[in-house]
Amino acid sequence: MTVTGESDETLMGRYGRGDAAAFELLYRRHEMRIWRYLVRNVGNRATADELMQEVWFAVARDAARYEPTARFTSWLFTIAHNRMIDSIRTSRRQLSLETLGYESESVVRQLTADPCSGPLAAAVARDQAGALLHALEQLPVEQREAFLLQVEGDLSVEEIAAITDSSFETTKSRLRYARTKLRELLKEHA
Amino acid sequence: MNEIPPNQDQADEVDNRYRRESALDPSRPSESVRRAVLEHATQLAAERSAKNGPAQIGAARPAANPRWWRPTAFGTLAAAALAGLLIIPRFLAPDAPLVGALPTVPVRTNAAATAASQAEIREQPQDAMADVRPSSPPPPEESALQPDERALKPRVSSRNEGTVADSAAEIDAKNAPAKVQSMTNPRSTAAGGGSETDARRAQTRGATGISASPPQSTAPTAQSAGSPRQSVAPAASSAAPTAPPARLADSAAEVRRAAEIGAVPELQTLLGQQGDIDARDESGRTALMLATLSGQSRAVDMLLAHGADPNAADAQGVTPLQAAIAGDRPAIAAALRRAGAR
Repeated sequence: MTVTGESDETLMGRYGRGDAAAFELLYRRHEMRIWRYLVRNVGNRATADELMQEVWFAVARDAARYEPTARFTSWLFTIAHNRMIDSIRTSRRQLSLETLGYESESVVRQLTADPCSGPLAAAVARDQAGALLHALEQLPVEQREAFLLQVEGDLSVEEIAAITDSSFETTKSRLRYARTKLRELLKEHA
Repeated sequence: MNEIPPNQDQADEVDNRYRRESALDPSRPSESVRRAVLEHATQLAAERSAKNGPAQIGAARPAANPRWWRPTAFGTLAAAALAGLLIIPRFLAPDAPLVGALPTVPVRTNAAATAASQAEIREQPQDAMADVRPSSPPPPEESALQPDERALKPRVSSRNEGTVADSAAEIDAKNAPAKVQSMTNPRSTAAGGGSETDARRAQTRGATGISASPPQSTAPTAQSAGSPRQSVAPAASSAAPTAPPARLADSAAEVRRAAEIGAVPELQTLLGQQGDIDARDESGRTALMLATLSGQSRAVDMLLAHGADPNAADAQGVTPLQAAIAGDRPAIAAALRRAGAR
């Protein structure tokens, strides 16, 4: 997790005092986690890119006011969650399974057709990533987000409940049903 | 929603598969996003550094803060000037500086130990006591001093120059005679015998105000150093009824001091003049007890011969015999036993 051995909170403190290198370390440490959380929730690469930039801009802007009362990852995913909700509201889209499911088909195609990958690798990735994303797309929005927060953010049930403004039991149930559904879907795909 | 929740092993299996397959996912955020984010963060960091830089410097270096520069500078200058005023007079004094005085002390002790004269041996502790007293001025007859004693003199004189008032405050009625004695001519006894001791004692009485005339043999610096005692003298002379008890108390203190340092000739003279040989100091110790504690066997013999109480215990209830035994002084203990000590 760590490149330099310094904690996220320490790096945030350094960046808050003007150390740009600390921010780059933080960004590279959490870049892919935030990216996967966003792109697999919104199902659109362009939107995910836009949200990605907004999230990290917010991190950079609020670094001076950041206080390590909670884990940095919890704070970071809270920003990502709020930005994602705002983006969805702004585009007047409904945060519903149907809407995201519709867009996710094109996202799968975009992801698997990444020009950085070779033809064979793209074929393998298409098959594997397609199965995974397809299973995720079929989860209810709340379950998918809770699952992604846990596996990408390494967040606890309490932290996820706080981020999504849900109760502990509700969050726990969402996680439980999400895994059950994923397991069944992946078995079907296999 | 009515499905049976999976157990922990199944959840781990799902999570592991998700992570495995995510690692194979070639999806990445756009390079333009990464560049924009890092550039923005760098710009904000630069603004933050420019904004917080002076404040951080000010917090770390208070003297660099313009608000503190003037008080700091003036305070430093004032402290330096004050130190100069206190130290420069010591270097401008006619006597030798302090350097070199202290190392001669052990030499002086050795010289005293090897001296052939018994009287000289007895007088040297007296001189040592005079040296540590703050009111001893430099005697004019410096040629009479031994080299090691001259080495000690600058320390005493330089201290007297600035601390006359302090010395006066420290002098009480009981200890003043001994101090004045050492002040008037403390070194003259180093080469002398009993007659010089008597002369010094006479000078002491004159300086304490029993005689209204100040001592004539003191140097000008001694005059200034003796001013505290002169200020005491009018009070003693104006209060005539209190003068005799003060003289008696002074004599008793002299007896105790002479007994303690083993100044036998002086002790003999004093014992012939005053009555209460068993007068006690503030700790309840008699002259006999002090002589016992300091191992002055001849003084002990003389005190016992003049009728000192061998069983006069101090404030702690310790008798001279107990003190002699505790101090491993068998000769004194035997003398005390012969005198009836218990």
